[in-house]
Amino acid sequence: MNAVAARLGGIGWTHPRTIGILGIVLGALAFWLALPPLASRTAALPVAIGILAVAAGIWTFSRDERRVGGGAIAAGLLGIAFGVLATRSSSTHLDEVVVWSALGAATLRYATPLIYAAIGGLFCERSGVINVALEGMLLTGAFFGIWGAIWAQSWAGSAAWLVGVGSAALAGMVLATVHAIWAIHLKVDQIISGFALNFLALGITGYLFIDKYGDTGTPGDVPGIPDVHIHFLQNWYFVGPIIGQLNLMIWLSFVLLVGTYILVFRTPFGLRLRAVGEHPRAADTVGISVYKVRYVAVIASGAIAAMGGAYLSIGFVHSFNEGMTNGTGFIGLAALVFGKWRPFPTWGATLLFGFSSALADRLPNAYGNQWGTLFQALPYLLTLVAVAGVIGRSIGPAAAGRPYEKQ
Amino acid sequence: MPEGALLELRGITKRFPGVLANDNVSFELRAGEVHALLGENGAGKSTLMNILYGLYTPDEGEIFLHGRPIDLGSTRAAIEHGIGMVHQHFMLIPVMTVAENIVLATEPRRAGVLMDYDAARRRVRELSERYGLLVDPDARIDRTSVGQQQRVEILKALYRGAEILILDEPTAVLTPQEAKELFEIIRSLTGQGKSIIFISHKLNEVLEVADRVTTLRRGVVVDTIDAEGATEEGLARMMVGREVLLRVDKKPSQPEGALLQVEHLSVVDDRGLEMVRDVSFEVRAGEILGVAGVDANGQSELIDAIAGLRHVSAGRIVVDGRDMTNADAKDTLDAGIGHIPEDRHRRGLVLPFSLTENLALHAYRHAPNSRRGLLNPRVMTARARKLLSEFDVRGGAPATPAFALSGGNQQKVVLAREIDGDPKVLIAAQPTRGLDVGAIEFVHRRLVEQRDAGRAVLLVSLELEEILSLSDRILVIYEGRIVGEFPPSATEEELGLAMTGGRAAA
Amino acid sequence: MTDELSAEEAIEPPPPDGIPQPQQHFRSRFGGLKGAIAPLLTTILAFFMGGLVVLLTGKNPIRVYKAVWDGTGLNWFVHVGHHSARVPFGTAHMWFPWDTASIAAQNLQQTLLVTTPIILTGLAVAFAFRCGMFNIGGQGQYFAGTIFAVWFGSSFNGMAPLLHVLLCLVVGTIAGAVWAGIAGILKATVGAHEVISTIMLNWIAIWVGSYLFGQGGPLQNSAQKSIPISNDIFDGAKLPVFWGLKLLQGLSIGIFIALAMLVVYWIVINRTTLGFEVRAVGFNPEAARYGGVSVARNYFLAMAISGAFAGLAGAVDITGWEYRIGQNDIQLGGSSGIGFIGLAAALLGRNTTLGVGFASLLFGALINGTSGRQLDPSIFRPDLAGNLTTIIQGLVILFVGLNLGGVWVWLKRRRRA
Ligand SMILES: Nc1ncnc2c1ncn2[C@@H]1O[C@H](COP(=O)(O)OP(=O)(O)O)[C@@H](O)[C@H]1O
Ligand SMILES: [Mg+2]
Repeated sequence: MNAVAARLGGIGWTHPRTIGILGIVLGALAFWLALPPLASRTAALPVAIGILAVAAGIWTFSRDERRVGGGAIAAGLLGIAFGVLATRSSSTHLDEVVVWSALGAATLRYATPLIYAAIGGLFCERSGVINVALEGMLLTGAFFGIWGAIWAQSWAGSAAWLVGVGSAALAGMVLATVHAIWAIHLKVDQIISGFALNFLALGITGYLFIDKYGDTGTPGDVPGIPDVHIHFLQNWYFVGPIIGQLNLMIWLSFVLLVGTYILVFRTPFGLRLRAVGEHPRAADTVGISVYKVRYVAVIASGAIAAMGGAYLSIGFVHSFNEGMTNGTGFIGLAALVFGKWRPFPTWGATLLFGFSSALADRLPNAYGNQWGTLFQALPYLLTLVAVAGVIGRSIGPAAAGRPYEKQ
Repeated sequence: MPEGALLELRGITKRFPGVLANDNVSFELRAGEVHALLGENGAGKSTLMNILYGLYTPDEGEIFLHGRPIDLGSTRAAIEHGIGMVHQHFMLIPVMTVAENIVLATEPRRAGVLMDYDAARRRVRELSERYGLLVDPDARIDRTSVGQQQRVEILKALYRGAEILILDEPTAVLTPQEAKELFEIIRSLTGQGKSIIFISHKLNEVLEVADRVTTLRRGVVVDTIDAEGATEEGLARMMVGREVLLRVDKKPSQPEGALLQVEHLSVVDDRGLEMVRDVSFEVRAGEILGVAGVDANGQSELIDAIAGLRHVSAGRIVVDGRDMTNADAKDTLDAGIGHIPEDRHRRGLVLPFSLTENLALHAYRHAPNSRRGLLNPRVMTARARKLLSEFDVRGGAPATPAFALSGGNQQKVVLAREIDGDPKVLIAAQPTRGLDVGAIEFVHRRLVEQRDAGRAVLLVSLELEEILSLSDRILVIYEGRIVGEFPPSATEEELGLAMTGGRAAA
Repeated sequence: MTDELSAEEAIEPPPPDGIPQPQQHFRSRFGGLKGAIAPLLTTILAFFMGGLVVLLTGKNPIRVYKAVWDGTGLNWFVHVGHHSARVPFGTAHMWFPWDTASIAAQNLQQTLLVTTPIILTGLAVAFAFRCGMFNIGGQGQYFAGTIFAVWFGSSFNGMAPLLHVLLCLVVGTIAGAVWAGIAGILKATVGAHEVISTIMLNWIAIWVGSYLFGQGGPLQNSAQKSIPISNDIFDGAKLPVFWGLKLLQGLSIGIFIALAMLVVYWIVINRTTLGFEVRAVGFNPEAARYGGVSVARNYFLAMAISGAFAGLAGAVDITGWEYRIGQNDIQLGGSSGIGFIGLAAALLGRNTTLGVGFASLLFGALINGTSGRQLDPSIFRPDLAGNLTTIIQGLVILFVGLNLGGVWVWLKRRRRA
C-alpha cells in the first residue's frame, strides 16, 4: 500500500496533503462507480479503490496531516461500505433511485431549511452570540407558518402562505428575543439558554398542535408556498428538472445568501457586526453599541431560521408534526461551522448535507424499508464525520459565547 | 508652553467592589503639553483615563473642557469632544485590516450603504503621511508588529479628530529604541497642536518626554510638578511613598554544574511557524540566567518546550543529566522543573479552585496527598496552611477560592507551589507582571533565595530593569535566536539594540 | 480595566472552536440549604408559567396540577395509618405507617421507577459538566444501553439469574460509555465540539435502533413479524421487584443502583485524583495542562464515564420494568426523552449529588403524573400534558441558569438610569 503512495510521491506529488485529498476523491469514486450510469455490478471495484483511498489516508495520517488523512480513511471506508451496498441492490431499482437530476432537486429541497437555519445562525454567531436554539426556531417557524396559513385561509385565499411566513418570522423573533435578553443582558450561558428555548419550542408547538389539530392532524388543504415554474428552463438537459420548478422559498434562499454576503462583508453594518463578534470591547471603545448590534443580529437570526421552518411545513411537506425538525437545526449549525461562518462555504455544506438527506430518502426504494431505516442515519453520520474532520480547525468569531460586560 | 487649562478633572472618585480606585482626584491638562500620569500598578491611572474616555462613569466629580462642564456618558461623547485614547491593551480586531480598524464606526460609504474601501485606504494613507506614522492600510492586524499596532491605535484616534490623546502605558510593549521613536512622534503631535496625557510607571521616560508630571498613589493624587528639575529619586519616592531599592541586593553567584542544558533547540508554534531556531544554552546550579527580548520573539515557545508543553522539532533538552526532550508535562515536572507561568490567571491558577487545590495542582498525584487514586483532603489542607503562612499569602484561608485574592497574593500562591515542589530548575516567566512594588520585591527576593539554595533559575522577562537587576548572565533572544550574551553590567541601550536585531558585541 | 480584563479572560479561556465551553455557572454557587433556594424559586416560576399556558388555552391549571399531583403518588406520604409492609428481600411482614398496597403506593412506585433513570442520566450530564463539557447525547447513550441490555437479556436463556442481570447491566453501561466515548475521542483529538457530535450520535443511535427492532430487523421479536418490537428479556435478566407487583410494574431494586451511583459520583468527583483532574480541566484546561494533567485524556475519560451513567440508565430501565423495547419507543426519544430530562435535572440540581437526586424526583413525578396511565383524560389530555412537561422542563433550564442576583442588579441599574 505504501509502495503505491510512494510511487505517487515519486511523480512529484510528495506533499502529504495532496495525497490525502486524492484519497478523499478516491473514496468518493469508490461509491460513485457503483451508481448509475456506470453501475459497476462487482463489489471488487469499489473495494479496491476504497482500499487505495484508505492507504493514502494512512500514509497521509502518518505524515502528520492528520485531518486530511483521517478524512481520506473515512471516505475510503464509507466508499467501500456504500459501494458494496449499491452493488448488492437490484440494479433496476438503483436506476430509479439515482436519477441525478431528481436527486439534485431533492438536494435543494432538503438543503433549504438548513441554509435558512445556517444563515440565521451566521448573523447570531458573527455578533458573538452562540445559537444552539436554531432547532427550536425552525420548529417554531414550522408550526406558526402552518398555523398562520390556516388562519388566513378564509380571508387571504391563496396568498395565505404569506401570512404563514410572516407569522413564522414573528414567532421566531419572539423566541430569539428571549435568547437575546438571556444571552446579552442576563449573561446566562448561551448554550444553556439555547437549549432551554429548544425545549420550550418543542413543548409549546407540541402543546398547541395537540390542542388545535390533535385529533386529525393539520388539514390536507393548507395553502402552500407556491413553486416557481420557469418554462423555458424546464426542457434544458439536466438543470431543467432541477431548477425549472423550485419552491419560491428556495429562490428566496439564494437571494438571502447573496444579500447576507453583501451585508456582512461589504457594508458598514457588517463591519460593525463582525467587530462586535470578534472584540466587543474594541467596538465599544469606538462608540459602537455592542448590545444593540447583538440584539439586532440575534432577533434577525430568529426571523430567518423560522422562515426556514415555514418552508419546511408549508413549502415542503405541507403538514406539521410534533418535533418534525428532527435535528435539522443542529445540522444547519454544523454546516455553519463547517463553512467557517462564511455564507458561500456554508451554503456548500448545506448542499452536501442536503444531498445525503436526499439520498437517505430515496435509497429505501432500492433496498426495501428495513435497510432504508438505517439509511436515515446517513445525514447525521455525515455531519459527525464533517465535525470530526474539519470543524476542529474551524475557528469562529473570537468573542462567541462570551457575554459582554459594559462598564 | 501655552498657559490655561484645556481640560480639567475635579474631585473624581471611582469605587469598584472592595477598591477605591480614584479618591477625589483632580487633574489638569494644558493645551499643547505632554502631561505624564505616574503611578505604580494598581494606582488607578487607567481607571481615571477610562473615566475621561467615557468608558466608566465616575461616582463623584466633574470634567471641564475649555472651562465648560461636559458630560462623558459614553465613548462616543468623548470622541465627539476630541478625546482619543490608546489603551494599555490595544483595542484592535486581529482579523481585520489596518484600514478597517481605523475607520470602524465612522466608515466612508459608497452609494449610501456600501463600504467605500478605496476612500478608507486613501484617508489612512493621508493621515499616516501627515503625522509620519507609517502603516500599510491593507495589512491584517495579527500580521503586524506591536509597534505598528500602536501606530494604528494612534491613527485611530487622530482619524476621529482627537485633539487630546491619552496614551496608557504606551512603552510597556516597546524596546528602548522603539520608545525613542514614539517620543519623536509625541513631540511632532504636540508640535501640531495636540495635547497628550502620557501614562507610565517608568521614571526615566517620564522625565524625558513630559512637560509636567502628576503622581497617583493608591487612587490619590500626590502632587503635580514640572518635569524640569525633577529627579528619578524624587519621583520614585512620590510614587511609592518610601525609599525604594532600584537594585536587588545580592551576593555574586557561585554557579556549579549545569542543571538545564538546551542544545540546538527548534520549536514551531501553532501556526507552524518556527519560533525558536537552533537555540543552545545552559543554566547552572546557583545562577539566574536572564532571557531578554521583545514580546513574541519565541520566549513563550522556548519555555513551553522546556516545560514539556510543546513539541520540539529539533534539538535536545537535558534536565540534570536526563534527556527530557519531548517528555510530557507531567514527567517534566517530576524530573525537577518548576514553572511560574507568564499568565497566572490563564495558566498559573485554576481561579475557582480553593487555595488548597491550587497549591496541590502538581502534588495531588503523589503521596501523601493521594494514595491509589484517593485524595487525602486533610493532608492537602494542612500542607496548604503551612505554605500560605510560609509565603505570607494575605487574605486567604485554605478554602478560599483563588479568584478572591489580589494579584500579588495570587502570584505568591503560584510561587509557593512551584518552590515547594523542590525543583532543580525554576523557570520564571514574567514573574512580576502587573504587581505592585511590595510584591515585586517579595518575588525578587524569593528568586534570589532559590538561586542561593543551589537551584538553576531561568528568568524570562520583558522588563529590562528586572533582567538587569536579577540576572547573573543575560541572553538576548530575537526572532527565535539567541543573538548575544551579556554580563549584568550591560546597559539597557546595549540590550535594547540586540533586542531589535542590531548586532552587539557579545 | 486592565486587571479586570485579564481576569475575565482567564475565567473564560477562548474556546477551541466556535462554540465555547460550558462556563462557570455550572459551579454550584452556594453550599448547603441556601443552595436550594434558587432552584426552588426556579421550579415555582416554571410551574407558574406552565400554568399560564394551560390557562391561556382555556383549561383550569389548578385542576390540572391537582390531577398530576394525584398521579405522582407523592400524596402517599400524607396518608399515615396502621399498615404492614413486606420486609425487603424476605417474606416476613412488619408494621409500617403507610399502606404499601394503596393506589397511591402504586403511583409512587412508578414515579420512583421513572426517577431511577433520570438520576442516572442526570449524573451523566453532571459528570461531563464538571469537565467543562455539555453532554447532550444522554439520550443516544441511554439507547445504546437499552439496545445492548435487550440483546443480551433476550439471549443466553438459562443463565444463572444474578449473573444474567449483571451481564445486562455491565454491557449496557459499556455500550453507553463507548457511544459517548466517540464524542470524547473526537473532542480530545481533533477538537470537535461535543454539542454537535453528541446530538448527531443521538440521531444515529435512534436510526440504528429503529433498524434493529424494526420490521425485518436483526433484533426484532421472533414471534410476531408484523410488530416492530424486540423479544422480551428472560426472567433471569430481570431485576428483582421489591415493592409492588412485577406484572403491574412494581418498583425494582434499580432505584438502589441509582442511589448508589449518586454516592459514587460524589466520591469520584470530590475524593479521587481523577475527579480532581476532571474538575481542573473543567474550570481551566490551560492551567490543568500546566499542572501536568492530560487534558485530552480527561476529556475522553469524563465523556466515557458520563456515557456509562447514561448507558446504565438504559440497562436498568430494560432489566427493571420495560423488559423489551419497540421501534416506537426509540423514535419518540429524538428530542424529548429520558436523556434530555437528565439535562434538566442536572442543571436544576446544580450538578451536586443531593441536587440531582431531588431534581430527578421532581421530574420523575412530573412525568409519571402526566403520563397517559395516570392522568384522567377528562381533566387534561395526556398528550397535552406530555408537552406541558417539556415546556416546564424548558422553563426550568431557562431560569436555572439565571443568576437571580444578577437580574436584581440589572433591574436596579435600569431603574436608576
Ligand atoms: N473593572 C474593575 N473592577 C474592579 N476593580 C477594578 C476594575 N478596574 C480596575 N480595578 C481596580 O482598581 C485599581 C486601579 O486599577 P487601574 O486603574 O487599572 O491601575 P493602573 O492603571 O494604575 O495600574 C486596582 O486595584 C484594580 O484592581
Ligand atoms: Mg493601567
